[in-house]
Amino acid sequence: MNSSIIKKKDIEKTNASRLSDVINEELGLITVSDFGGGEGIQMQGLDSQYTLILIDNQPIIGRSAGTLDLDRISVGNIKQVEIVRGASSSLYGNEALAGVINIITDEPKKGFNGSLSSSYETHNTLDNNISLSFSNKNFKSTFFINRYSSDGYDLNQNDELNTVNKFRNSTLQLKLGYQINKNFDIKLNSRYFSQSIDNIASDLLSGESFTAEDNINLSVTHKSKKINTDLDIYFTSFYGDEYLDDDNGERFSESFYDQILFKPEIKSIYSLNKMDNIVLGFGFKHESLNRTYFDINPKQNSPFAYFQYDYHPNEKINLIFGGRFDKFEEYKSQISPKFSGRYRIDDSNSLKLSLGYGFKAPDFRQLYFNFSNTSVGYSVIGYNVINSVINQLIEEGQIANIIIPLSDFNTPLKPESSLSINIGYDRIFNDYISIKSNLFVNSTKNLIDYRVIANKTNGQNVFSYYNINNVSTYGLEVETKFKADNNFDISFGYQLLYAFDIDARRLFEKGEVYARENPSSPAFRLKKSDYFGLYNRSRHMGVLKINYTNPEKNFSSNFRLKYRSKYGLYDSNSNNYLDIYDDFVKGYITANFSFNKNLKKNFIVSSGIENIFNYKDPNNIQNLSGRILYLKLKYRIN
Amino acid sequence: MTKGRIFLLSILVLFFYNCEEDNTSPLDVVYSSIEDLHAPQQGGQGQPIAGEFAKFDFETGLSTQSPTEWDIAFRGTAIIVNGGSSLGTTDEPERTGDAGVYIYDGLMSEMSVVDTSLFNQDSSEGYAINTGSGNGWYTYAGPPTYLISPTPGKILVFRTRDGKFAKVEILSYYLGSPENPDAFADQSRYYTFNYVYQPNEGVTEFN
Repeated sequence: MNSSIIKKKDIEKTNASRLSDVINEELGLITVSDFGGGEGIQMQGLDSQYTLILIDNQPIIGRSAGTLDLDRISVGNIKQVEIVRGASSSLYGNEALAGVINIITDEPKKGFNGSLSSSYETHNTLDNNISLSFSNKNFKSTFFINRYSSDGYDLNQNDELNTVNKFRNSTLQLKLGYQINKNFDIKLNSRYFSQSIDNIASDLLSGESFTAEDNINLSVTHKSKKINTDLDIYFTSFYGDEYLDDDNGERFSESFYDQILFKPEIKSIYSLNKMDNIVLGFGFKHESLNRTYFDINPKQNSPFAYFQYDYHPNEKINLIFGGRFDKFEEYKSQISPKFSGRYRIDDSNSLKLSLGYGFKAPDFRQLYFNFSNTSVGYSVIGYNVINSVINQLIEEGQIANIIIPLSDFNTPLKPESSLSINIGYDRIFNDYISIKSNLFVNSTKNLIDYRVIANKTNGQNVFSYYNINNVSTYGLEVETKFKADNNFDISFGYQLLYAFDIDARRLFEKGEVYARENPSSPAFRLKKSDYFGLYNRSRHMGVLKINYTNPEKNFSSNFRLKYRSKYGLYDSNSNNYLDIYDDFVKGYITANFSFNKNLKKNFIVSSGIENIFNYKDPNNIQNLSGRILYLKLKYRIN
Repeated sequence: MTKGRIFLLSILVLFFYNCEEDNTSPLDVVYSSIEDLHAPQQGGQGQPIAGEFAKFDFETGLSTQSPTEWDIAFRGTAIIVNGGSSLGTTDEPERTGDAGVYIYDGLMSEMSVVDTSLFNQDSSEGYAINTGSGNGWYTYAGPPTYLISPTPGKILVFRTRDGKFAKVEILSYYLGSPENPDAFADQSRYYTFNYVYQPNEGVTEFN
């Protein structure tokens, strides 16, 4: 399996405060802002909706526009972040076409421990953490609280809007564990997150946007010599509401979003011998959503089962066979087989291969949305409610003509599916130099997009979702590490990425796509090589990290560079596709530096600069605020 | 003798035939362009659309006020033809001719022969050239540029009100057809287009 782990000490070195900060420093991973300002992850060229985000093995929900905002997750209590690239894990869910990010939170050490930290940054950003833990022979508990607030920033002074509005959020986490006897233990994990953001739409309209998230997991584990069994009962809810008032205090607009997920699951691990084991699990997912712009409150019940066989025929070979079965009410049941293998040629060379099939059922929004924009007048309709909504619009005299016949919507929207292949080669040259490389291919079918299905009498369009694109992303990741000694290391990573819509590429091949040299010159025909690929994908990405520790003087420092080559955000020459004649966002480098010093045994002072070169692109990159300075104090209790 | 007579006859026939052709020698195909044809409208963005259409006549190559002697007309992003029937919007002219239109996907220079089976006319259901971004002749970029750009590779093929043919490539929707239009600064609803007009009745080729 193509997996990597970011450890607590690496996170602490960089003084990251949100998960997005951590992700952005990883090779091949970037966060991309959506329209709502949420920071979603792009992995191996696939969008954020195809990466599953877990906290302590349980999924996080609340993707109101498909993106899961990584800024929601504080890293103050994180033990490690596990990243699996590709659809190769069968344990966590079918929708992880791109991969899985599993955030493992701190486990308590023996006795009473804790830490307090406070960080102050540019933009009046304040990040405060309290973390306390206690553990004895039978009892474990951790308590974590984070308060994060900022004034936001404005990259474009010419309008009344801020790029990022003022916000404050809190995270609370309580984990309790009790060992009943030698065989049984019981755990309760709970987490609460709430955030409020100023909502400013113009100088006349302002309000607030509020979100709250709950996660509770009760887990009972039974251990015997051969079999470990976990029963997990997980409940999570995500609630959001936002409103705008006009200057007279009258309510102008209001919307809410209320989603729950309930998931009981049993998982058993059977050890065949010291090395080999079999995992079997089954469970049930109940999801429901109640939100503005939905005529119904959709519910989905989906039972699932999975297995995994971890087999070591000899010391050199490890094979993992897995599979997952998911049953849906409205969709054909799906079986997703997975395989991964590792062959250790010798002590310094090894080969890895993983194959996985994954699929993602259409989400509630794609099925049930019924939204009409009040100021511009367009409508977006979910696939399953097209007939009723269109007929209603026809009765109201709002439809000028129907472009896609309604009979086209009789067959259900198909789930998106993906085959992912990762082939890796790792080599340790000597005590100082090692290299890891990985080739990846993700081939995604029936990708869901939206299109115009009817014209309205007001000249605007009605949009709905449909299966169209077959998308292919492929590329190469190479990571080299040079370690001079325990105190000094340099690592360098590079990712090459090609991300294409296969149908679009075929049109270029056939010569059916045209462009203009400038907006008012005659059109000419584009060649296949003129097709750049999907939006928001950079062909080249690079990461350079330098770490230096001085144990005598009790300080450590590190320097990180991230490069992203040019990419296109939208089609600027009106032919619907991103070609080399379009406008591109320029490639750029961000550089970060941090410095940590232990003043006394338990007292640490940290300081640093993020985005040292003060790189900004106000029109295209909303999540780069310019240079940030910070100072952080941390005190350890033990 | 018979042979000679037939020969003479042939010469005569050829002579007269050629004479006849000379008399009605085909008119030259017109290659031309129109700059900044102003097509204002009132309303829009959810409000009812109104305002006079800017009419154009291929035969004269000029815009016109005539209620009947026009082939195509513009208002905002809407383009109508003098054929079929009215959609019934405010200030929309009556259709008095037999004009029609279809959209050819390709380059202006490659659109050489008209396919007469493809023509559509306006109707009470909608215009022959569909409105809305990506449906007809233009693409609306939305935020952040909000630009309306003629979709490259969309050639409008017209039958005129009196059965002749023309092809049009729209180049710009902004006054002065700027190289880098700015939807906030440049005035919109000014059409600049290239056109080719075949003035000979029944001739479907442009070359």
